[in-house]
Amino acid sequence: MSIHGRDPINLIITGIGGQGNILISRLIGEVMLEDGYWVTIGETYGASQRGGSVASHVRISKSTQHGPLTPEGQADIILGLEPVESLRMLGIYGNPKTYVITNIRPIHPMAVAIGEAEYPELEKIKQAISELSQKVWYIDASEIAIRLGSPLLANMVMMGALVGTGLLPLKKEACLQQLAASFKEESLTVNMKAFTMGFIQNSS
Amino acid sequence: MVESKACQDLVNKVIKKDLCTLCGACVGMCPYLVTHMGRVVLKDVCDLTQGRCSAYCPRMSLDLDITSRATFGIPYTWDALGITKGIFMARSTDAKVRQRVQDAGTITTLIRFALSEGFIDSAVLTRFKDKSLPKGVIVSTKEEVLACAGSSYMAAPTLEAFNREAQNVSRKKIGIVGTPCQVLGLARMKESELEGRNNLDKLKLVIGLFCTWALSYPDFAQFLEKEMTGPVLKYDIPPHPANVLHTFTEKGQIDIPLDRITPFIKPACQLCHDLTAEFADISVGSGRGKVREWNTVILRTERGMEIFDAAQSKGVIEITEIPERNLNRLKEASRNKKKRALKNIIQKTGSTDNFLYLKVQPGTVNHLLENGG
Amino acid sequence: MTIASRDVPKTTQLLMGNEAIARGALEAGIGVAAAYPGTPSSEIIGTLAQVAKERNLYVEWSINEKVAMEVAAAASFSNVRALCAMKQNGLNVALDFLSNLNLTGVNRGLVLVVCDDPGGISSTNEQDSRHVAKALDLPLLEPATSQEAKDMTTWAFELSEEIANVCILRSVTRISHARGKVVLGELSNVEKHAYFDISRKPYATVVETPPKLHQALYQNLARIREIYESSPFNWYIGPENPELLIITCGSGWFYSVEAVRILSAVNSVGILKLGTTWPLPQKLIEKHMLQTKKILVVEEVDPFLEGNLKELAADMEPGRTWTFYGKASGHIPSFGENTPNIVINAVAKALDLKYTTRDPEYQQKSQEMVKRYVPPREPQFCAGCPHRTTFWAIKNALKLDGREGVLTGDIGCYGMGLGSSGFFQVRTMHAMGSGTGIASGMGKLNQFGFNQLVLNVCGDSTFFHAAIPALINGVHNQSHFILIVLDNSGTAMTGFQPHPGININAMGDPVPILDIESLCYALDVKVTVTDPYDINGTTEKLLEMLRNEGKPRVLISRRECALIKSRREKPPYKIQVNHDQCIGEGCGCDRFCTRVFRCPGLIWDRESRKARIDESICSGCGVCVDVCPQSAIVREVIE
Repeated sequence: MSIHGRDPINLIITGIGGQGNILISRLIGEVMLEDGYWVTIGETYGASQRGGSVASHVRISKSTQHGPLTPEGQADIILGLEPVESLRMLGIYGNPKTYVITNIRPIHPMAVAIGEAEYPELEKIKQAISELSQKVWYIDASEIAIRLGSPLLANMVMMGALVGTGLLPLKKEACLQQLAASFKEESLTVNMKAFTMGFIQNSS
Repeated sequence: MVESKACQDLVNKVIKKDLCTLCGACVGMCPYLVTHMGRVVLKDVCDLTQGRCSAYCPRMSLDLDITSRATFGIPYTWDALGITKGIFMARSTDAKVRQRVQDAGTITTLIRFALSEGFIDSAVLTRFKDKSLPKGVIVSTKEEVLACAGSSYMAAPTLEAFNREAQNVSRKKIGIVGTPCQVLGLARMKESELEGRNNLDKLKLVIGLFCTWALSYPDFAQFLEKEMTGPVLKYDIPPHPANVLHTFTEKGQIDIPLDRITPFIKPACQLCHDLTAEFADISVGSGRGKVREWNTVILRTERGMEIFDAAQSKGVIEITEIPERNLNRLKEASRNKKKRALKNIIQKTGSTDNFLYLKVQPGTVNHLLENGG
Repeated sequence: MTIASRDVPKTTQLLMGNEAIARGALEAGIGVAAAYPGTPSSEIIGTLAQVAKERNLYVEWSINEKVAMEVAAAASFSNVRALCAMKQNGLNVALDFLSNLNLTGVNRGLVLVVCDDPGGISSTNEQDSRHVAKALDLPLLEPATSQEAKDMTTWAFELSEEIANVCILRSVTRISHARGKVVLGELSNVEKHAYFDISRKPYATVVETPPKLHQALYQNLARIREIYESSPFNWYIGPENPELLIITCGSGWFYSVEAVRILSAVNSVGILKLGTTWPLPQKLIEKHMLQTKKILVVEEVDPFLEGNLKELAADMEPGRTWTFYGKASGHIPSFGENTPNIVINAVAKALDLKYTTRDPEYQQKSQEMVKRYVPPREPQFCAGCPHRTTFWAIKNALKLDGREGVLTGDIGCYGMGLGSSGFFQVRTMHAMGSGTGIASGMGKLNQFGFNQLVLNVCGDSTFFHAAIPALINGVHNQSHFILIVLDNSGTAMTGFQPHPGININAMGDPVPILDIESLCYALDVKVTVTDPYDINGTTEKLLEMLRNEGKPRVLISRRECALIKSRREKPPYKIQVNHDQCIGEGCGCDRFCTRVFRCPGLIWDRESRKARIDESICSGCGVCVDVCPQSAIVREVIE
């Protein structure tokens, strides 16, 4: 199953500031660019970095350059590093044909952390995401990352998970090569491992 | 209807209305209410609709019948001197102590005695040092007790120290010396269903002070700064008709006319009906006239009698009869304070049906205003 | 070494707009680049700073935008090409110099890049900088793609030298921060030789009367217009006689193309994309406008292009009319940032087409679910942020003092002090340094009965940028206020750039620290220094300062930014909540640490009804240990 036929492919990578979704967008972007695709990446920075929602829009096309933002309702894939953020993106950019790959580890917003709002039950969020998408892959990327040594590795796990679904027209090897080109020696091994573990979760 | 928060009730009904006596009953238990420079300050807002702060405050919803039942087992009588099981004059037998203290050293001696005999393991007292704000401290040695002897006539949030220190597991039996409003605050704790957290079962001895009024800090301190050349070691107000405040400094005694001091009286004191600390185990005041060198002592509870008798048997305290004249004078002064308080409350509210925080029957009030109990 | 500086011409790279601009400058052979950090412009100088040594550049984070412009101009006067970058607010700061510089002109190429923030997502205002180009009769360029961002920058230096004047390149967030495909050109290796020709006419406006200089400037515009007529940055796609002509610039290009594609209107809509937007290439525009009767203008922020087109239209064929759609007609909102859907809806409306974003049932269901399940996320101070603790001390000190206090604020991470993160203490916030100026003014109102305390918070970078003159004003006029400098060792909000109080410069060279205390001593201002993590000590010091009224006093609240520190070191403590001691919602606490102090490292655990530490967020600073009223939070030194 893939969306290789679609043009542009609209991939939205979402999470909380500091989770590293921008890195994923750049790595995927570089791989697609090398493969001859037009790639545009739109991002949000600044104040939102301090614990707010952050989304990267990756627009991939064989024919031409596209704008940095996905039009509403046109997301093909949503890669979420945080479950509620995945749902938030579906609310704006989702449609019945959207695919979702999401981490299930919540990051509580301030209002929830201090007891002023409720973080919804994970089952309810999962149900909502399922109803609003064509297919969902759930993965506890944070758990895998913590086992590998740091919660910050969750973004690489998610990238592996995305590639593992086969939705994007790119190969695992090309991604690993890109990682090798982007990470310093001392951190490369563990990041590759994280990527591979995520890949294995979804590629069956 | 949204229920109001306990601490905001306290601020709106007591603090903003100038009813606060700075007894300290509401502070020392949480990070929201603190005292600073003679004021109670609400630093942040606590959401709870029920809390110890408003439950313990002697100026919030005071039903003296309930309070009296919790302390003595019987309703409040509005008798001139409250519940009394014995009234006489007393003084310390230690001449050195009598030299150092305010009057005759009864309180200092009783506390020291209670400590050495194990009735208490620590005591919450009030200490002032030259011009600084007097505050509650917890002590456990004889020297420390002596250091707290003497009144600055300024209001101090002594109960804050009790609230804070009672939580300390190493303190198991605590004694306290307080003014009538502070003693009433402790009685409120006893009556309150929220009492559990305050470790009131650790409180083993309450000694109350006779009190007519207290002065505001920092206003009074600033006034003193202009008047005094050096730190004040001791204050005294001799009996009527002297009308002065004696201040004793290193350089000698300076007398200030009382009418220069009265502007600094806390407004809340004008509404207080309790001269003799009616809810204490033992209440102590100054002697007058012939028994000027003695303290007036009122025993009110079994506990009070037990400790006092023991002290007497041990020979650290000696007693003598209270002259008839003095007793009548005391009763009159107490009745006058009650009358004045009720009149001032009616003046403040502008109505004979509204007694602010005080729950009284209008019938009782008329009777009191005519006879004063 | 960044990708922007790699000597790999003709290769294809994925570059951010700002990186592309930096690359364009390198391909133009600049020698000097100066700026003050400001989102969304900071990466331009940030990228150039990284390659300063290898490309023989002088790159400076100037103290403010006016000085940055002056530094760049100095290079230009002295035979070296220079680039200056800033955000829209920075242009306001530089405007006094710029409005004289245009009259004196320059020598070697000088390009001013202004990055607007439509929607004010990371700014205190929303502002269209293009008006300045028109007001100052300077040429304006707007890139629409990352490729153009690079190519226009390189070409802008040539244009600048052609007219011996500043060239303005206007970008927006969606161009500056978006990554797109860029084919690199050749890096310039031309030798740079700095020299100021003292024999030529001075660069001074008063050598001629201003009107004469203005006239020369105005005549210049005609020359620029000619050049623009054949510029490769303007192009047209679509049918010869379109039913609707979209005239667009900048980020509007991609939105317009996408809108036409989604609406399947390729055969009825033409798009004229202009990269040269002041002065307008009249002949080119006229040619296309005469082919249609309906025009939709798509641009960011103000109807700048729209208004200028209408001016042109008034002088075109007499009697000829068009229907203009855009901001005036309400097809595009006159405020806020453009989105693909705003433009799709505008085109649909202009063509009388119906467009539904997606299945209405899905739309409704998804919005309901988001409303029900997605809690809002407000930006807040990071865990361990010293600003949180400084505002905490300010709040406590003012409450204890008992008098009302007016706290004026300023721009930076601590600007979030306006909200719950800073305990709602801040009362004003405008431009850089404005808080200090306002405090200086407020501290003089006592003759009119003003009896409230006046305080001001200002960051370390902001202090150097603009607060110093205001402080001097306060000292000179004996105003009563306290200036609290929040010194977290860097310009944190925009990406931790250095400033004069730091020991390195933009290029990483060690430089002497400009000590804020010494500056204050020179002004005879009493300075107190405090560690914001010591919340009780800081509160005490502030209380003391509030008691001693009089001339301006300075409190430096100094502690390194927790985010910078966490990138460099492991946390000093492991923090835990002792559940036996924690009384949670009970009287005596009522969730004090989570509900009132509000550090994101503290979580209210609904199941155990106790507070606990979120280890993935906690920075290990240990301040909450002093906050807990029950001493239930403990810290353990990490070996």
